[in-house]
Amino acid sequence: MKKYPEIDELIQAIVQGEAHLSVNLAEALIAKGLTIESIIQDGLTAALQSLNAKCTNEEFNLLEIVLAGRAMMAVMDNVIIRYLPPARATESVPEKTLVLGTIEGDIHELGKHVVKMLLRSSGYRVIDIGKDIRPEEFVERAIQQDAGYIGVSSLLTTTIPSIRRIKELLNKAGRPDIKVIAGGGAIQQTSRDDLNVDFVAQSAFDILNYLKNLQDEG
Amino acid sequence: MNSYERVLNSLKKKQTDRVPVVPEVFGVTAKAAGYSIYDYVTSPSRLAESQLHARRLIGHDMVFAFADLSVESEAIGCELEYKEEAYPVVRKPLIENLKEIHTLDLPDPQKDGRMPVVIEATTRLRDVVADTCIVAACVMGPMSIAGQLIGLEGLLYHIVDSPDEVDKVLDYTEEVTRSYGNALLQAGAHCHIIFDPVASPMVVPRDVFRRLELPRLKRLFREFKEKGSLVSWLSIAGNTKNILPFYRDANVELATVDYTVSIPEAFDLLGDIAVNGNLRPFSFVSSSPEKIKEEAKKCLKERGNRWGYLLGSGCEVPIEAELDNIKPLVEASLEFSP
Ligand code: B12
Repeated sequence: MKKYPEIDELIQAIVQGEAHLSVNLAEALIAKGLTIESIIQDGLTAALQSLNAKCTNEEFNLLEIVLAGRAMMAVMDNVIIRYLPPARATESVPEKTLVLGTIEGDIHELGKHVVKMLLRSSGYRVIDIGKDIRPEEFVERAIQQDAGYIGVSSLLTTTIPSIRRIKELLNKAGRPDIKVIAGGGAIQQTSRDDLNVDFVAQSAFDILNYLKNLQDEG
Repeated sequence: MNSYERVLNSLKKKQTDRVPVVPEVFGVTAKAAGYSIYDYVTSPSRLAESQLHARRLIGHDMVFAFADLSVESEAIGCELEYKEEAYPVVRKPLIENLKEIHTLDLPDPQKDGRMPVVIEATTRLRDVVADTCIVAACVMGPMSIAGQLIGLEGLLYHIVDSPDEVDKVLDYTEEVTRSYGNALLQAGAHCHIIFDPVASPMVVPRDVFRRLELPRLKRLFREFKEKGSLVSWLSIAGNTKNILPFYRDANVELATVDYTVSIPEAFDLLGDIAVNGNLRPFSFVSSSPEKIKEEAKKCLKERGNRWGYLLGSGCEVPIEAELDNIKPLVEASLEFSP
């Protein structure tokens, strides 16, 4: 990691909400050979995580957090996207279709955005159904869209009961074949059983491997 | 001593028989009167009836002419989503480009959206309580209306990117607060509470409050006062410690403080401005009457012998709370008589 001390500058720039500077720094890091994965994990995600304390203690300030979020998105939309393979026109087959949303009660959406971009550029059809989404809606939309997977993002531990319901509803609807994949800050420390899902992704990259393995197997 | 005298005396720092009890109870009053939240926010008679019925049950010292946070933005033109048992919410921002603000007319409080509903409810409340109890009408402050018109995230970005244009938007929303506020006074309100949750330090840094909100509050409160409002009351939730010292300059005479600011801290930071608060709003949902009474007594103890204190909640009592959990405030005040 310390091969690229500039990544700390990138983290700083994002934390301070400096979108332009963040874009330039990210560009420079890539030119130096840092991988996209590292920019996203050690730069973007780490920057937002460092605001952790800001979210709970007396210093909580929405303006600062949304500016940092915007800077992060600017790097995704202006830099990262150019280094990812372009989103290809994908066939609407279940094995390539994922319905993605943030669970009911939760409005965090930055992580979801990262997942969406990565999956799209890896040839998946991603249907983003938004944030604060009820379990019923995940299931309805997945069936309607003939999706093979549901991706559910959650950053609040209080949402776990709602996540658990997705699989229950799928079973009730006679669709246990639709795989549920969960990710997001709140649930990285939980297990598949805790959440009643098929896979708990540690990062946005994790889901790519998981899906690839599924397809290799199938 | 009736509620009106009790509150006014207390605000004037005079002796009262007991500490006035003024929890922010709005939609929570509907259920006991047999109405849904939808009924409450759309019907003047049901709003008024709910408020009066709750006051009979609880015995607190004020009635509120307040429907929900979106009355102003709806009157301007925002589309709301209504639910039976929740407050309506703004569906999507009305304008994207701040320059469009010039295309918006000022709402007519007698005609537009549900402003007439709240205005009529105000008159009904005043007709019943006359001068035995204060009718407080609630209006949203300029920052919060702006947040609804352009979306909260949009507003925050523009505060940084195009401050001059945000100023113009706020000039418009200030005017909305003013004209609606004046109409409520004419309809019989004794005073206003200005709510401005978006101006909270949890949302914008202190400096933004000072620059964008303070001068507007100052003008609004001065004018409302000139038009006969009994008290200039500001309610901003969250940890407001770093903006409370600005309240005096904003002409605030009564401040609601949330549970994150202790009563002694509030007294300290507010000088001689009267204080309302600071029970944790969620405890009215999750706690028991006994515990709430204890918490209320703690507030009363912390108040010491300073006048200018109204026992209440740090923010709106949630709509899913039980009225039985609010009654202990009055009991505590009676038992803890000064
Ligand atoms: C930004 C932020 C906000 C912003 C969100 C802006 C937005 N538009 O998204 C705002 C200010 C609105 C916010 C609000 C709140 N927040 Co907040 N927030 C954060 C913060 C600082 C960063 C989160 C983030 O975006 N990270 C960057 C992204 C890229 O990371 P990520 O989401 O983890 O995603 C990565 C992976 O997890 C994965 N991933 C994510 N989702 C998915 C889904 C799938 C399917 C897959 C495969 C992978 C995947 O992909 C990404 C890249 O690898 C965290 C702190 C933290 N430590 O995370 C707190 C945090 C999440 N928030 C928290 C809290 C408590 C809140 C509030 C309740 C605060 C309050 N008191 O009101 C509200 C919640 C409102 C609500 N109902 O949701 C807590 C949650 C505590 C808990 N464990 O439950 C945290 C952890 C802070 C803390 N320590 O207290 N917050």
